[in-house]
Amino acid sequence: MSVRRVATLLRRELLQGPKSFILLWSVVLPVVMSLVLSLVFGTLFNDKPKLGIADEDSSGLVTLVQDSPSVITREYGSVSDLEQAVKTGAVDFGIVLPEDFDSLVTEGQPVEITAYVWGESLAKHRVIAQVTLLDLVRKLSGREAPVDITVNTLGDEASIPWSDRLLPLMVLMAVFIGGMFLPATSLVTEKQKRTLEALTVTPTTLREVFLAKGILGFVISLAMGLIILALNQAFGGQPDLLVLMLALGAVMAAELGLILGAFAKDMSSLFAVWKSGGILLFGPAIIYLFPEIPQWIGQIFPTYYLVEPVVRISQQGGGWSDIATHLFVLVGLDVLLVAAVVLAGKKMRRVMA
Amino acid sequence: MNLAGIRALVAKDFTLFFRNRFFALITPLALIVYIGLYFVMPRSVDETMDIGVYAPGWSAVVDDIQQQGLRIHVAESVDELKDGVTDHDYVAGIVLPADLAEKLASGEKPRIDLYVASDVTEEAKEAVASLMREMIYALSGQPLAVEFSTEVLPGPDTVGEQIPPRDRMRPLFAVFLIVFETFGMATLITEEIEHRTIQALLVTPVSVKDLFAAKGFTGITLAFGQGALFMAFVGGLNDQPAIIILALLLAALLVTGIGFFIASLAKDMMSVLAWGLLALVILVIPAMGIMFPGVITGWAMVIPSYYVVDTVDRVANYGSDWPDIWQNLLILVAFSVAFLLVGMVALRRRFQ
Repeated sequence: MSVRRVATLLRRELLQGPKSFILLWSVVLPVVMSLVLSLVFGTLFNDKPKLGIADEDSSGLVTLVQDSPSVITREYGSVSDLEQAVKTGAVDFGIVLPEDFDSLVTEGQPVEITAYVWGESLAKHRVIAQVTLLDLVRKLSGREAPVDITVNTLGDEASIPWSDRLLPLMVLMAVFIGGMFLPATSLVTEKQKRTLEALTVTPTTLREVFLAKGILGFVISLAMGLIILALNQAFGGQPDLLVLMLALGAVMAAELGLILGAFAKDMSSLFAVWKSGGILLFGPAIIYLFPEIPQWIGQIFPTYYLVEPVVRISQQGGGWSDIATHLFVLVGLDVLLVAAVVLAGKKMRRVMA
Repeated sequence: MNLAGIRALVAKDFTLFFRNRFFALITPLALIVYIGLYFVMPRSVDETMDIGVYAPGWSAVVDDIQQQGLRIHVAESVDELKDGVTDHDYVAGIVLPADLAEKLASGEKPRIDLYVASDVTEEAKEAVASLMREMIYALSGQPLAVEFSTEVLPGPDTVGEQIPPRDRMRPLFAVFLIVFETFGMATLITEEIEHRTIQALLVTPVSVKDLFAAKGFTGITLAFGQGALFMAFVGGLNDQPAIIILALLLAALLVTGIGFFIASLAKDMMSVLAWGLLALVILVIPAMGIMFPGVITGWAMVIPSYYVVDTVDRVANYGSDWPDIWQNLLILVAFSVAFLLVGMVALRRRFQ
């Protein structure tokens, strides 16, 4: 094996890379998906009732509701806008605050609030919205609660916010989209254009070609993983361990990409595999999104051994002792995949011959 | 039209498709994965909040708290209440002291202990605390002079009959399976162009029309077949199967037209990928509106796939019938025919 030839091949990949749609896709897609997923899941999968308010005056209740952690509040300029929002399900519960609402409440005068309820809103959301509103109206009226409520917390498990639950999915996307696709598409393109045969009649060996493409996949994969962690401010207390885990994950991605590229006849086959095989890669991240699914299922998937240490380090302050087992399993998987890459290369050489 | 030629071309495309071990294995595998994902998801919606109460001598209070949206569990002791909280049997546990009434009557401020598990969200804690305060206000004879005049929009009220998330996702899965065939269709044609077999074909008695018919038939069969099989397995054809099948068939026609158009633009497989991805993202947007109500507004109606997901959603999840969705189907026919014509014209220009 010639290091110089590998470097030449890698330089060629890097020079041609920016012209490739796949490289752009590998870099842009994880970042865009990270932003979109944060927006979609961070706000929409939040299990809080959404309360809409159309205020015909300038009631102090609006500010109180906006400050309340129990509901997500949206203010509407007119009753018809509020009605439309309730009809489409943009809010679960919508209220119209009449003129002089604050003074009527302070004076203890009877007030009728027109409320619209979205037909598909959950019963518990309706209760929470109403009770929260009543509680805040009392606060607005300046009455002191007749009771002291002491909150006692039991256990030591912490609730996992959606932004945290999404991290594994984002990391996996960042690591695997570029890491897998760049080597795979590059190999398939070379096969289709028959440039691979041309290369291998020179002193360049197939092993060197694989290595150059694998290194490119590894570099992009690791870089994207780091970028996504930086965007999500999720380096935790042990960034060196995190980088090590990402590097091992990037090796896995590049190896899978090479195997896929060696076996796929054309781009259609490649994307057909991605269409269904993607679920096997992202399985642990999807399971992590829904804590009600038994979490042991995630361990069946190889990418679990990348995701779990990343979560432990970045979100739970974990260290070496918490991730050592996962790290060794991941190293083992990477070694197994090296063997698979070698076999794939041999098969490819036979086909080319 | 040369029917024998079309038949031969279709047979060739299917033979090539299933001779490719990847396609032969992956196509059914994709279906199995989507069906499996559907069945793994929860089959019901829990729309109540569970609260535990330990209230010695206060059974009337417990009855007062019972209402739609709340499920009250009565504990026999504080320890049992705490166990219920830590075991996540309920969101919160409330201890109402035996001397609550006396203290309220004497103007004293009683203390109520609220137990919550450490992983309970802040909003849930706050909501239960608000609920308790309201209940005590009522007990102490200080009702609020505020009344809600409530109207359910747009109706009907589905409390107690919520649509499970997996059923909400059925249109998304079906549309995704069909729309992905845009790639398949465009690939089928681009491969012929790349390998120059299209020129070879066109010097035989096969005409451009025959070629379109054959490719169109293959694309529609692949797209429609996957969507319809998925819907059949997940119970999406239980109500009004004719409407669902027609909607899926029109969707397959639509993606075939889009596939033709992409093939007319694409220089190679990478271009197919780039344009196909753009089409995929746009066509999937309306399905997001079904999953996340209120996210997208009227503008989504300019996207043709809106009429597929809306029809499938309304028929499969809400029991809509022909009179409710005929307009959707009509618009879908118009979009499908228009895209098919545009695609064919664009592709014909490229061949010539």
